[in-house]
Amino acid sequence: MSDLSKALSAGEFVVTGEIGPPKGTNLENCLKKEADPLKNQVHAINVTDTQSAVMRMGPVAPSVKLLERGIEPVLQLTGRDRNRLALQAELLSAWELGIKNVLCLTGDHHAMGDHGESKQVYDLDSVHLLKTINTLNEGNDLAGQKLKGSPDIFAGAVVNPGSEPVEMQVLKMKKKHQNGAKFFQTQAVFDPYQLESFLEETKDIKAPILAGIVLLKSSKMARYMNENVPGVKVPENIIQELENTPKEKLQEKSAEIAARLIKELKDLCQGVHIMPLGWSHVVPKALELADLTQMAEIKN
Amino acid sequence: MVFLTNKIARNLIIKEGRKEGDVNMHATIQKSLEEIMSFIKDEEKVLIVGCDNCAAKCKSGGRPEAEKMESRLKEKGVNVTGWIVPEPAGASLCKLSNTKKVLLEDHSDMVGESDSVLVLSCGQGIHTVMDAVGDSLIIHPGCDTTFGGETTKDGELIEEFCSLCGQCIIEHTGGLCPLTLCSKGLLNGPCGGTDEGKCEVDANKDCGWKLIYERLKSFDRLDLLLEYQEPKNFANSNQPRQLEITEKEVKFTSANGVKVIER
Repeated sequence: MSDLSKALSAGEFVVTGEIGPPKGTNLENCLKKEADPLKNQVHAINVTDTQSAVMRMGPVAPSVKLLERGIEPVLQLTGRDRNRLALQAELLSAWELGIKNVLCLTGDHHAMGDHGESKQVYDLDSVHLLKTINTLNEGNDLAGQKLKGSPDIFAGAVVNPGSEPVEMQVLKMKKKHQNGAKFFQTQAVFDPYQLESFLEETKDIKAPILAGIVLLKSSKMARYMNENVPGVKVPENIIQELENTPKEKLQEKSAEIAARLIKELKDLCQGVHIMPLGWSHVVPKALELADLTQMAEIKN
Repeated sequence: MVFLTNKIARNLIIKEGRKEGDVNMHATIQKSLEEIMSFIKDEEKVLIVGCDNCAAKCKSGGRPEAEKMESRLKEKGVNVTGWIVPEPAGASLCKLSNTKKVLLEDHSDMVGESDSVLVLSCGQGIHTVMDAVGDSLIIHPGCDTTFGGETTKDGELIEEFCSLCGQCIIEHTGGLCPLTLCSKGLLNGPCGGTDEGKCEVDANKDCGWKLIYERLKSFDRLDLLLEYQEPKNFANSNQPRQLEITEKEVKFTSANGVKVIER
């Protein structure tokens, strides 16, 4: 059983982080900057899989490096680039390397990235991927053949509570749960009331939910997200707050805003998923302000 | 609950644009002049052949386009024997008997004078010309065949609703094909990139799954969205494919084998 799985089962308030692998082989630098500040602050760290369809190092190698550093990874896996053979193969390899948590995603469209002429696969979508993990865990592959040794992968999925119409998201979440999702991480949330109403709609889905928290670096970033990231709605008051903050105080303000959100969401869900987007060094402060340092204490 | 057929379904969808004269066809776009020029050798005598059906509708190979291509090529110093868009009006180039007659009888002298033919039509039109002229002429494709399209607004807009994927699943999606309408071709959509009914790829593009959701909702069949759709069987997509018709059976062959359907 993975640490993440144990912590969720035990009813702990779980905190996960996230890193994006480098575009190149400079992994060590990336880990120092993005992963090390999170060590002992979070239960696990997600490693993104060619996020935004921008070519970069895949998520398996960084996940292994995280394990070597005593940090539990959550491997993100998308259906965009690999067919069902390659995905099953990747899952078995990942398991063999000690990776126990996998977040199943469909994958950003290549039009959003830098290799827009590539051949997209989408042989398996996120729901298929969840079911595939279930199938492998039960000792079979997708062709119905018995495996010589099977994994016990803890599979999760994403949900976007801010996306309209919300009914579509609720149905999708149900479907993901029915097909193997054992936990959910949400897209960035800025409105506790919206999350609350979403959770009310999905209360029959018995799976832990970690609310997504993005560290806002500036009002410009907030506006950019509102324009470009589906389902993300940074409220005007937060944008103003950032706008009124002098540049040298932005990191502090970012931590403050994140902490406030975490406090507001704490009682609604089973944890938070923090996306620092390069500002991992700000996360410890945010967690401290949100009174979430027990994790670090337990781990130490 | 009765499910309407796809044809009627389309009329009820968002799209109001379909008119009496609207049809279905192969959508083609002309290749660039640069690419076409790269096909033609010096001294080569080129005959231009277009199509008065689909290519004419797409403005890629009808009479005005064939005529314009002639002047563009001549401007570049190409020796053009002429241009032919087979009659009668609206004739499909892919009708072999007609194309053969037009090329080998009606215009045999133009064909005889030429070394090659630049075909402004879909792939099927191009192959029909190949079948008509045999080895006597080199064939240059003048267009890219892009999709199986349906015209709306009397031909002002040509859209895609069927990808000819070989495994029709619209029973589960209210008649709207997710492989075609969803940018990612998802079978258990939508993805996390949908918002307010638009696709993450293009804010002007409708999210295919939102369209499906609305349609299923109107029939009170949202339960279909909870049904697990298996991954697509790509075995039938392996090309080249063929259909063989015998007295008792129809045999569908792809690179993965034969599927026999009794008649």
